[in-house]
Amino acid sequence: MKYFIRKLSSLILTLLLVSIFLFISFQVIPGDSAAASLGTSATKETVEALREELGLNRNVFVRYFSWLGNALCGDFGISAQYNMPVSLLLKERMPVTLWLAVLSIALIIIISIPLGIQSAKKEGGVSDRVITFLTHTAMAVPPFFLGIIITLVFGLILKWFIPGRYISYSENPGQFLGYMIFPAIAIAIPKTAMTIKFLRSSVIRQLKLDYVRTARSKGNQENVILYRHVLKNAFIPVITFIAMVIADVLAGSIIIEQLFSLPGMGRMLVTAISNRDFSVVQAIVIYIAAVVVVINFLVDIIYRCIDPRVRV
Amino acid sequence: MSKLGNERKNNLGPSQLSDVNQPLLTVNHITVGFQHNGNINKAVNDVSFQIKEGEILGMAGESGSGKTITALTIMGLLSKEASVLGGSILFDGKDLFRLKPEEFRKIKGNQISMIFQEPMTSLNPVMTVGYQTEEMLLLHENQLKQAERKRKTLAALKEAGLKDTETLYYQYPHQLSGGMRQRVMIAMAMICKPKLLIADEPTTALDVTIQAQILGLIQKMNQEYGTSVLFISHDLAVIKNTCTRAFVMQEGEIAEEGTVRDLFNGPKKAYTKKLMAAIPDLSSRKTGFPFSDPDAVQNGQAVLLSGKEKNILEVRNLHVFYEEKAKKLFSKKTRKQVVNNVSLTISQGEILGIVGESGSGKSSLAKAVVGLIDSKTGEVILNEERPQMVFQDPYGSLNPAKKVGWILEEPLKLAGGYSQRERKSKVLKILNEVGLPDEYTERYLSQLSGGQRQRVAIGASLIRNSKFIVLDEPVSALDVTVQARILELLKKLQKEYDLSYLFISHDLKVIYQMCDRVCVMYQGEIVETAFVEELFRKPVHPYSKKLLEAVL
Repeated sequence: MKYFIRKLSSLILTLLLVSIFLFISFQVIPGDSAAASLGTSATKETVEALREELGLNRNVFVRYFSWLGNALCGDFGISAQYNMPVSLLLKERMPVTLWLAVLSIALIIIISIPLGIQSAKKEGGVSDRVITFLTHTAMAVPPFFLGIIITLVFGLILKWFIPGRYISYSENPGQFLGYMIFPAIAIAIPKTAMTIKFLRSSVIRQLKLDYVRTARSKGNQENVILYRHVLKNAFIPVITFIAMVIADVLAGSIIIEQLFSLPGMGRMLVTAISNRDFSVVQAIVIYIAAVVVVINFLVDIIYRCIDPRVRV
Repeated sequence: MSKLGNERKNNLGPSQLSDVNQPLLTVNHITVGFQHNGNINKAVNDVSFQIKEGEILGMAGESGSGKTITALTIMGLLSKEASVLGGSILFDGKDLFRLKPEEFRKIKGNQISMIFQEPMTSLNPVMTVGYQTEEMLLLHENQLKQAERKRKTLAALKEAGLKDTETLYYQYPHQLSGGMRQRVMIAMAMICKPKLLIADEPTTALDVTIQAQILGLIQKMNQEYGTSVLFISHDLAVIKNTCTRAFVMQEGEIAEEGTVRDLFNGPKKAYTKKLMAAIPDLSSRKTGFPFSDPDAVQNGQAVLLSGKEKNILEVRNLHVFYEEKAKKLFSKKTRKQVVNNVSLTISQGEILGIVGESGSGKSSLAKAVVGLIDSKTGEVILNEERPQMVFQDPYGSLNPAKKVGWILEEPLKLAGGYSQRERKSKVLKILNEVGLPDEYTERYLSQLSGGQRQRVAIGASLIRNSKFIVLDEPVSALDVTVQARILELLKKLQKEYDLSYLFISHDLKVIYQMCDRVCVMYQGEIVETAFVEELFRKPVHPYSKKLLEAVL
C-alpha cells in the first residue's frame, strides 16, 4: 500500500511537471492565439484588445494557475479555430480515438500472444518459420501503405466497407464498429508483428535457462513447463513492450485517421498545430502525457504482482 | 533413521559394497554427439560404468571432458542439438532409451533426481521455494492431501539443514544465499527418496566452508536412505573426500577408473598423473621470498617491519564504503561499509595473499588499493605510479571483439610517447613473455581459451613495466591444469621482474602455493596476518581455523 501511494504521488508530480513545462514552452513560442485567430490583416489595437479579453496580458504565474485550475475541472479554454470550448471538441473526438485504440489493442493481444508462444514452442519448425516470415513482412510495410492495401482489398474489391464513409457511433453503433475495425487492423498489424517477435524471443530465452532444466529433471510435462514455469518469467519484459505499444496506440494515429477520414484526436492535433490553436494543442499534449504516465504506473503495479524480485 | 544408516556404513566398507550389491545403474558404451556444420563432434565416446546400490561414484575431469553431457544423457535432458549415437543405459532393470517419454517422465525426480552446479539460476525466480519443492510431490505422489504435502515439504527442507521452514516456504529464491538455494535443491531432489541422485558439481559455485556442509549433507542422505550418488566434480580433492570409487573423464572418454585410494596413490595413466600433479599441493612449496625461513620468523608482521626492503604498498586504517542507491527521491543515500579498518604492507618483491569468502571485502580492498573506488577513508601509500589489476573472469573482463594485439597495445597508446614500431615490438616481447606465439596478435579474444585470455590480461598488466599488480582471483575460473600453468607463469614473471603481487583468492591451496604472507579477511576486517606456513601450521583466529578445516 505504501508502494502504491508512493507510485501514485510520483505519477501526479510527473504530470504537474509536464504541465509546467508545457505552459512555459508555449510562452516562449512567438505569436499567441490572439494574433493567430485574428489573422495577418488585424491591427495592433484589435490584437491587443483581444489579448486583454482572453487574459493573455496577466502575470504568467496567474495565468498558469488559472489554466491548471480550469483544466482540473475539465475546462481547457476555447478553441480559437472552432470557436467552441476545447472540452466539447475533446468529448467529440476522443471516443473515436479510444474506440480505435481499444479495437487495435484487443487485436494485438488476441493474435500476438498465442502466435508468439506457438512460434517459440516449436522453434525452427514449420509453424515458427511461417510466423517469422509473416511477422518480418508485416514489420517491413509502412502503416500508410498497409492502410491503402486494406482500403483496396476490403473496401474496393470485397466491398466490406465504403472507404471514406465514416459513420459515427451515435448514428449507428453496429456500422460504426464495422467501419472502425479496418483502420484498427491497419494499426494492429505491424504492432502485432513486433509483439510476436518480442514474445517469441523472450520465451526462447527463458526456455534455455537453468530453471527449465530443473523443471524437466523433476519429471514435468513440456506443456506444464511452458505454461506454469516459463510464461510468467517470459512475460516480464513483454509487459513493458506491450505497455509502450498501448500508449502509442492511445495517442492516436495521425496517418490512419487521415487515411480513413476518422474525426479523431490525431487529425485534430495536426490541424490545431498548423492553425496555432494552442489551447487544443495543450489539451492533447496533456492527454498524451497522462496516458503514458498512467500506463507506466499500471506496469509498475503489474510488475510488483508477478515479479517477486521487484518487491523489496 | 540415522542410526540405521550408521550401522549400514559401519558394516560395509567400500570394497564390500561393490561385491554385495547389484548395479543400480549400468551405462553401456554410450556415445553422444553434437551436429556441427555437417560433422558430428563426439562429446561422449564409448563410456561405460556401473553404480551399485548405496554407492557414491565419483566422476572427475576438466571442463569439456563430457561429464555433464553424460549426466544429462542419463537424465534424458540432452538439448535438441545433441543426439545419442549408441549404447544403452539400464536403470533398475529398465532400458532408459527404450522407455516411452511418459514412462521416463515418471522416473525423473521420483527415482532419479539431479542437482546442478549453479544454485543461483537453477530455481525458478518467480515461484516460492515451498511450491517448487512441493511440485515434486504433486508430480509423483499426487494421492497426498494438501496438508500432508506441505508437512512433507517442510520436513524435507528441514532435513536439508534449512531453518525456519515455515517462513522459507513462502520465500522466493532471490531472498536466499547460494548455500541455502543448494540446500533447497537437495531437499527437492531427495523429497521422493530417489534411488539415484546425480550431483553435477554441486559445490563448485559455493564458498569453501559452505562446500564442506553441502558435501556432508549429500553423504548423510546417502547413508540414511541408501540413495546411490553419481558425484561429478572437477575438484579431485572433493572427489577423494566424498567417494569410494571414481573414474576420470578426458575428452569424452574414460581415462582411468578404480577405487579412490588407488587413483590417488598410484595413478596409472599419464593424464591422471598430470591431473593429480596439478592439484596445488600443500607439501611441496617453492618460494623465493627471503624472509620465509621459519626459524628466522617469530611474527610475520614484526619481521616485515624491520625488513630492509622498501615497501611498495602501505595501507593504513582503510575503510571502504558502498553508496547504496537512494530508495526514495529525496531520501539521503546510505553507505554500507565493506572494508573496516584494514592495515597492511607489501614489500618490494613480496606476494601477499588475501583469503576470504565471497562478501568478505577482498575485492573491494583490491579496488580501493588501485584507486577504482573513491568512497574510502584512511591512507594508501603506493610506490608505483601504475598499479595494475588482473580480474577473475577472463571472459567478461576483456573486450571479445578486439584482437589480442589491440588489447596489449592499448595501455601504451593511453600512456603516449611510444612510436608505432616501439609499441609493436613491446607487444611481441610481452606476448612471448606470457607464453603466446607471435601470430596471436591477429587473433580475436573470442577465439582464445580462458587460460590464453588470462595470459593476455597478465601481459596487458605488465606491458608498462608496472612493478605492482593486484590479482583478483586470477585462476578461479580456470581448469585445474590450466590453473597450474598460469600460477607457474605468475611465479616466473614475479622472479624475473621482481614484481610485487597482492594476490586475492578464496582458495587456500592456491594461496599456499603462491604467497609469502597471507591476510585472512572476514566480514570486511583482517582477522589474521601470518606467513603462509605459520597459518597452515597453527592458525590463531577461529575463522582461520574454520577455513583450514574446510580445505579438503
